[in-house]
Amino acid sequence: MNSRQRFNAVMHYQRRDRSPIMDFGFWDETLVIWQEQGLPKGIDPDRYFGMDPQWITAPVNVQLCPSFDFKVLEDRADTQIVVDNEGVTKEQGKFLGSIPRHIAHTLVDRTTWEKEFKWRLDGHSLARFPHDWEEYTLKQSSGKRDYPLGINAGSLYGWIRNWMGLEAVSVLVYDDRRLFDEMVETIADCILAALKRALASGIQFDYALMWEDMCYRAGPLLSPRIFKETLVPHYRRITQLLKEHGVDVVVVDCDGDITKLLPLWLEAGVNTMFPLEAGVWQADPVAYRERWGPDLLMIGGVGKRILAAGTDVIDAEVERLAPLVEAGGYIPTPDHRVPPDVPFANYLHYLRAARRVWGNNLSNLAPMLSNIQPTSSGADDKFAWHLG
Amino acid sequence: MRDNPLYNAVLDGDARGAKAAVEEALAIGADPQDLLSSYMIPAMDEVGKRFDDGEYFVPELLISARAMKAGMELLRPLLAETGAKPVGTVVVGTVRGDLHDIGKNLVASMLEGGGFKVIDLGVDVGPEKFTAAITEHHPDIVAMSALLTTTMPGMKATIEELTRAGIRNSVKVMIGGAPVTRRYAAEIGADAFSESASGAVREAKSLLNA
Repeated sequence: MNSRQRFNAVMHYQRRDRSPIMDFGFWDETLVIWQEQGLPKGIDPDRYFGMDPQWITAPVNVQLCPSFDFKVLEDRADTQIVVDNEGVTKEQGKFLGSIPRHIAHTLVDRTTWEKEFKWRLDGHSLARFPHDWEEYTLKQSSGKRDYPLGINAGSLYGWIRNWMGLEAVSVLVYDDRRLFDEMVETIADCILAALKRALASGIQFDYALMWEDMCYRAGPLLSPRIFKETLVPHYRRITQLLKEHGVDVVVVDCDGDITKLLPLWLEAGVNTMFPLEAGVWQADPVAYRERWGPDLLMIGGVGKRILAAGTDVIDAEVERLAPLVEAGGYIPTPDHRVPPDVPFANYLHYLRAARRVWGNNLSNLAPMLSNIQPTSSGADDKFAWHLG
Repeated sequence: MRDNPLYNAVLDGDARGAKAAVEEALAIGADPQDLLSSYMIPAMDEVGKRFDDGEYFVPELLISARAMKAGMELLRPLLAETGAKPVGTVVVGTVRGDLHDIGKNLVASMLEGGGFKVIDLGVDVGPEKFTAAITEHHPDIVAMSALLTTTMPGMKATIEELTRAGIRNSVKVMIGGAPVTRRYAAEIGADAFSESASGAVREAKSLLNA
């Protein structure tokens, strides 16, 4: 059984030899601190930690195209003031995991929307595809692919939140609901147009990946009522198109307490929740499965705090999740990027336990701790996706 | 209460309505302090309650806070003339190493809506800056926010600095943020913890017995 077959088997509750072993990545600081604790320098973490092929998506750009030019406006001791690719002026740490502080946004009203953003959301633009797309298509359609391949399916709220800032988009839904609705519709049209071309290529994608990050510890940033009225119909258009092309695993990457939005996403055909951030609200994939049943697919759910807590706690959690892993429809990964307060030894202990219990210690697990240097091989299959 | 236009305007997040209602009330001789304490603050209390009950979300908090602010802009000079005091003064800031300001801004808005005077120190605020602000403004409460587990120790460091500076007992300390828990607050010797912006107002009032 190869990685692609295994991924599809688990997401469709079919028989498989073991669980995929996947992660969500690491804070930059974590790897530096781990180097003091024994992690060799210059390694590719995915390969070093023996991950199965993960998070590989086709090189289709469904975002702003062209993006804004990145500029450094001011270089300070510990931070920089930059204009990012979404037209946001922000202060960001040079070596901090903190979310940057937004200072100003290019998108502030209807005028800036129409002048600066709308034209960048032409889903028919050929610039959304690499120049060797036909070649890529032929390669991916050959049937020889042994890893799961995803297609990016964008973001209906998260992007607008990034472009405007939370406070501005929050008041926009009351001050100019028509504009908010129009933005969402324009983005959805753009995503659909780009997806149509990608899906028509004949590539059989294994999953689609959306990003929202629209929840925090107290729940959603937008009321479920407005979410249902404005977002759900467009999620449905996207998931319907995907389904028509055989893509029935639609992942949404959303941090925070997603409980109030989860049923609405399911209703809209977005059926795979990631990363199930355990957080102080105790999100738990076992409880979620009990509450929402097998229609809900899940990736994530292993609490960062558990990884920091110690080996006994890690072992207990790996064992606790084992029946759910066995049942299917669930791939366990850390519930976000691993932070620097997780000791390297703890993470290695977690991986060994995961490989033993969820991976059945099979010989087809990728080797762990092999000191493979970074390589560009396979990079043509990869397209950087922001897992945030 | 629901038949009062000022109360309704704040509760519904109608800034223009709040301003108009204050103007109309003042025109017929209403007492500014009474408008604030009988209608506007109770409306914000109800906003907080609805947030806690899952009926209101961040957008509704923000537009209600904006309506409150619109009314307050008219009332503030009149209240100053009468010598009326705010419910309390709060110094807020995100701790050192942390640039995250969304949660802190929400808390500041809700505290202002709750009748507090807020001195916002911004983000990446070190212990010495908190200490200097407390010495300068003599607040009742210092409220610290952190998004990250790695920046949370900045809260402890600030409390230790307040102790070193001999001003710990002159101010209540309240903390919050995504990774922060009640247990952590107790561990580092904070006086209060809140997991939401509306809860922060409740905790702040409780600290001052207001």
